[in-house]
Amino acid sequence: MFSLSDAELNRLRDGDPVLFTELVQYYHPRLVNFAGTYVGDRWSEEVVQDAWISVYKHLSGFAGRSQLSTWLYSIVRNAALSRLRKERRYRSLAEMARDENGGGAETWLESQFDERGRWLQAPQGWGTATAAAVLEEEELQSCIDRAIGRLSPLQQSVLIMRDQQQMALQDICNILEISYSNARVLLHRARLSVREAIELHLEGNECSVVGK
Amino acid sequence: MLCCREISDQASDHIDGLGSAGVRLQVGMHLLLCRHCRRFMRQMRLTVAALRTRYEEPLSAGRAAELASAAMAMSPVPDNIKEE
Repeated sequence: MFSLSDAELNRLRDGDPVLFTELVQYYHPRLVNFAGTYVGDRWSEEVVQDAWISVYKHLSGFAGRSQLSTWLYSIVRNAALSRLRKERRYRSLAEMARDENGGGAETWLESQFDERGRWLQAPQGWGTATAAAVLEEEELQSCIDRAIGRLSPLQQSVLIMRDQQQMALQDICNILEISYSNARVLLHRARLSVREAIELHLEGNECSVVGK
Repeated sequence: MLCCREISDQASDHIDGLGSAGVRLQVGMHLLLCRHCRRFMRQMRLTVAALRTRYEEPLSAGRAAELASAAMAMSPVPDNIKEE
């Protein structure tokens, strides 16, 4: 966790190179991951490098009304959206939201219940799987990576920021400019998709079929 | 009493400690009685736990210094532009 005292924040605003370098070291990988949900791996590094220029230039104007992290993510988000516009691949939030309908995992889950909302059959057991075991298995990890990669950009953003980077849901809403309830729905659908990917993998299936 | 489908809809909120106390109580009661939903909830918890233990490859101090220097060189004097 990157935190600064008021005195350090003031030094950062004045352009302190040591603190700015620490800021870059902590946030750069996280911001590149976040930018990737908008522009993909091809441009994410470049987008964040450009964003650092903007961050440094505007540091003295950071009044501290929002958290520093929220401010950084917002700058990167704007930089990523500008890049998409430049590449003529811009899709509005409204268009992205339309894509959120009928997520694969949710459709799959719906088919697991009878008309009274009870399980048609018990969910498959996962044996003695633990989070540590899941992490240690390389194939399963890449399966999860691919499942995340197939999520819509907004689902990816919410999932990465909330579960991987453990940011507060309200901060995520502020950065992505979405409602709290929308963020909860996006997060749930994204987790369902990853859960399904893990299940298919544990059943011995190719994880490429997730969401189909 | 919530049905199993509704429990699955509430799974993420339940794990995150969100939702009203009333709904959380109903979910808890259902889980006491339904082993299928307990299994589903365990799997969702494991999924979230697995996601929470993922992390980005840390940036080396040298690379961070390079990136910071490049940004500072492009903008030697921070402007006084206000935050939104």
